[in-house]
Amino acid sequence: MTSTLEVGSGTLVAPWTDWARQTTSGRRLLEAGTYALTEGAIAAGCRVFAGYPITPATDIAEYMSKRLPQVGGYYVQCEDELAGMHACAGASLGGLKAMTATSGPGYTLMHDAYGWAVTNEIPLVVVDAMRVGPISGITGAPGQGEFYVARYCTHGGNFETIVLSPCSVQEAFWLTIDAFNLAERFRTPVTILTDQVVSDMWEDLFVPADSDALDFVVPRTSNLMMPFFPVGSADLDVAPNVIGRGTGVCVSAYTHTEEGYDIEEMEAQWAQTYRLVNKIRHHRAECTRYETLGLEDAEVIAVAYGANARTVKTGVVEARRRGVRAGFVRPITLWPFLDELYAADRHYVVCELNYDGQLVREVMRAAPDKAKVHFMGKSAELHTVAEVVAGLEGVIRTGRVPELPYIWTEVR
Amino acid sequence: MNKLAAKYLRPSQIPTKACHGCGIGMIENWLLQAIDELGLKQEDVIFGTGIGCVGRQTFATWGGDNFGATHGRALAVATGLKLAQPDKKYLIVVGDGDAASIGTSHLIHAARRNLGVTVICEDNMGYESTGGQFSPTTPAGYVTNSSPYGMAEPSFDPCDVVKAAGATFVAETTATQWHQTVKIVKKALGNDGFSFVHVRFPCNENFGAYALGTRDTLKNLEWIYEHTQGRKADGSESDFTWETGIKHDASNSRPEFSKIMRDVNARVQAEMAAKRG
Amino acid sequence: MPLFKADKKASRGPAGKWDVVLAEDMCKACGFCLAVCPVDVFAWRKVPNRLGWFAMYTAHEGNCVGCMLCYQICPDFCIDVSLKTALTTAGGSL
Repeated sequence: MTSTLEVGSGTLVAPWTDWARQTTSGRRLLEAGTYALTEGAIAAGCRVFAGYPITPATDIAEYMSKRLPQVGGYYVQCEDELAGMHACAGASLGGLKAMTATSGPGYTLMHDAYGWAVTNEIPLVVVDAMRVGPISGITGAPGQGEFYVARYCTHGGNFETIVLSPCSVQEAFWLTIDAFNLAERFRTPVTILTDQVVSDMWEDLFVPADSDALDFVVPRTSNLMMPFFPVGSADLDVAPNVIGRGTGVCVSAYTHTEEGYDIEEMEAQWAQTYRLVNKIRHHRAECTRYETLGLEDAEVIAVAYGANARTVKTGVVEARRRGVRAGFVRPITLWPFLDELYAADRHYVVCELNYDGQLVREVMRAAPDKAKVHFMGKSAELHTVAEVVAGLEGVIRTGRVPELPYIWTEVR
Repeated sequence: MNKLAAKYLRPSQIPTKACHGCGIGMIENWLLQAIDELGLKQEDVIFGTGIGCVGRQTFATWGGDNFGATHGRALAVATGLKLAQPDKKYLIVVGDGDAASIGTSHLIHAARRNLGVTVICEDNMGYESTGGQFSPTTPAGYVTNSSPYGMAEPSFDPCDVVKAAGATFVAETTATQWHQTVKIVKKALGNDGFSFVHVRFPCNENFGAYALGTRDTLKNLEWIYEHTQGRKADGSESDFTWETGIKHDASNSRPEFSKIMRDVNARVQAEMAAKRG
Repeated sequence: MPLFKADKKASRGPAGKWDVVLAEDMCKACGFCLAVCPVDVFAWRKVPNRLGWFAMYTAHEGNCVGCMLCYQICPDFCIDVSLKTALTTAGGSL
C-alpha cells in the first residue's frame, strides 16, 4: 500500500507563510512574474531602479519606469548593466533602497559592481531572470546556468552570498520583499534567480492593501558612527553606512579597515573576510527558505528550484500515485547552500535547466552517498511530468535514470 | 601639514601614497583652496575617486564622506548617489585611465544627463600605477612601457568628448597653473550640472623615466610647464602645446539630472492628485 | 634656471614678516619649493626623515617675501606661509 500525496501538503519554510496570513485584504490580480517582482520591490521600499533592458527582465524596467515616479522614486536607464548596478550601489549608499534586474548577458557585466557592493556591505537586490546560454543563447527560453555564478558573483573569493529563487508569481512577490529585508539585515546584495518562465508567466497574484506600510518590511536605517565596517565581527542587523550625512565614511574597492580606507595587511584581510563570510554563515537560519514534500518515507527525492520545480513536483505526486515512494525538495535559498536538506541517505534525482550540471554537484557534495545522486539536465524547456516520473521510477527500479531524449544524465 | 589639509583631510592618510615629484597632491591642495574659498564645510562635499594613481592617492585623503569606485565607474556610482543626496557638492577625482579609457562611457552619459558633479580629470598621460603603459591621452610618438617603439595610436582630449556629450562646463589647466585651477574649480563647483576640469600633471617615476628619460622632478615639472606655455627655456617651441583655460561655459543653462528626475516625479504626482480630484 | 621659475612673477610683500612652517616628516624631497622660491628660503637636510627622504627645511625664514609659490607647489601639504602673528594681532601693516 503506497501513500498518496496531495499537491499542497508538505512543508514550506519561509517567512511569507506568516505574511500571507497577516495580510487578508488586498487586490487579486492576474499578472506576470515581472509585475510581481516590481510590486514586491515597491512594497519593500525600493525607490531606485537602475538598469538596462534585456529579455526577459525588460518588463521589470518598464514597470519600474512607470511605478517609481508614482511613489517618489527614480528610474534610471543606464548605458549598460555595469553602470546600472553601480548606480544602484551609489543610490543605496545615499540612503535609498535600490534594485536592478537583468538576464545572463547583463548579469555577467555586474561582476565588478557585485564585488564593490559585497566588500562594502551595501544592501541591494539583483534579479537575474535566467535564460538558456551561454551568452545570448535562446532569448525566450528558461535556463538555470547562473547557479554557481550567483554564488561566485564576483572575483577574489573571501565572501558569502545570499541567493533566493521563487517558483511562482505569488512567491516572487513575497520573496522580493524578503530579499530586501535580508539585504538590509545582512548589509549585502541579495540575488533573486528567476528564469524566463517565472518572469513571463501569468498567474494569480494577491497584492496586500496598504502595501506601502507593511510591518514586516525591514526599514532602511543608517549607521552614523564608527565602526563603519565591524571587521572581525559576524553581527547581524548592523545598520547600513550612508554617504552624505557627514560621518566621514570611506567606501572603496580595497581590503579595508573599520573606517573604510585601504590597508595592505594580512590581519586586515582576515578580519574583513571573517565578517563577510561569517555574518552570513553564522546566521544561516535567518535566510533559510525551502519547500519539501513527502520526505518522511521517500526512497527517491527529486530536487529542483525555480520554474521547473513546478513540473517536477507534479511529477513526484504522479510517481507516488504509481507506487513510487518519491519525495520532493525545493531549495528556495540556493546560497548559502542548504546541505541539511540532503542529509538523508536516499536516492536524489536533481532536475535542473542546464546540461553541464551545477546544482547536482552541490547535492553530490552534500549527500552522504554521491553515487545515489542522479542528474536529469534539460535545456530550453521545462522537464515534463512524464520525464520526471520516468526518472524517479527508473532510479527505484534499475538504480539509474533511463535514457530519455534530450535529458542529460552525465555529471563529470 | 598646511592649514587647509588640517581642516579638511584625514590625518591618518597624510603623507599620501603618491611618489616624490607627483602632481596629485598639488592639485588636491588647490581643490582644498577652492572648497575653502567657497565657504564649504567638510560635510558639504563628497569625494569620489577610482582606481589608478589619481584614484588611489586621493581616496580616503578627504576627511569627509568619500568613495573609491571600481575602475572607471566613479561616475556610475555618482549617478545613483546624486539622486539620493542631491544637495552635496561632488568632486569626482579620477585619472586619464579612469575617465578617458575604461570609464568613458559613463563620462559621456553623465555629461549627456548633465549630472551635477565636478569631474577633476587629473591626467598624467599614461597608466602610471601599473608601471607606465600608454593611455588614450599619451602624446603621439612618446615611448612608454607598452609603446616601446613610440605611441602609434592617435590620442584624444577628453574635453572634446564631454563637450560633445553635453557638459555644461569644460576647462583645462596644468600643474603649473595653480591660481587658474583654483579659480576654474570654483567656477566648476558653481555649475549645477556636469563640470569637467582636465588638469595635466607630471609623473616622475614612470612617465618621466620612460617617456622623458629622467626622474629629475624639476625636469618633469618643467616639461609640463613647457607644454603649457608652448616654449622651452632656450626659447625654442615645444613639440605641442596644451590649450588651457575655460573651453566651454554653459553653467546653469540646462536642468541638472537629479532635478530632471525630481521634476518628473512632481509632474506624475500632480497628475495623480488631479485624478483623485 | 627652469623656465617656470624664470616666468613666475608672483606678488610679493616685504621680507622678514612671514612665518614659513614646513612639516619635515611629511616631505618627500621633490625639491619644488626650493626650485620655485625666489629668495632661497629652503635647503636640504643632511639626515633623512622617517620616510627615508632628505627633507627640505626652512633655512632662511627671514628671506621670505610671502609670494606663496612654495605653498602652491608642494605636493604633500607640508608648507604653511602666513604673516607673523605679532604683526597681524597688532594690526601692523605691510
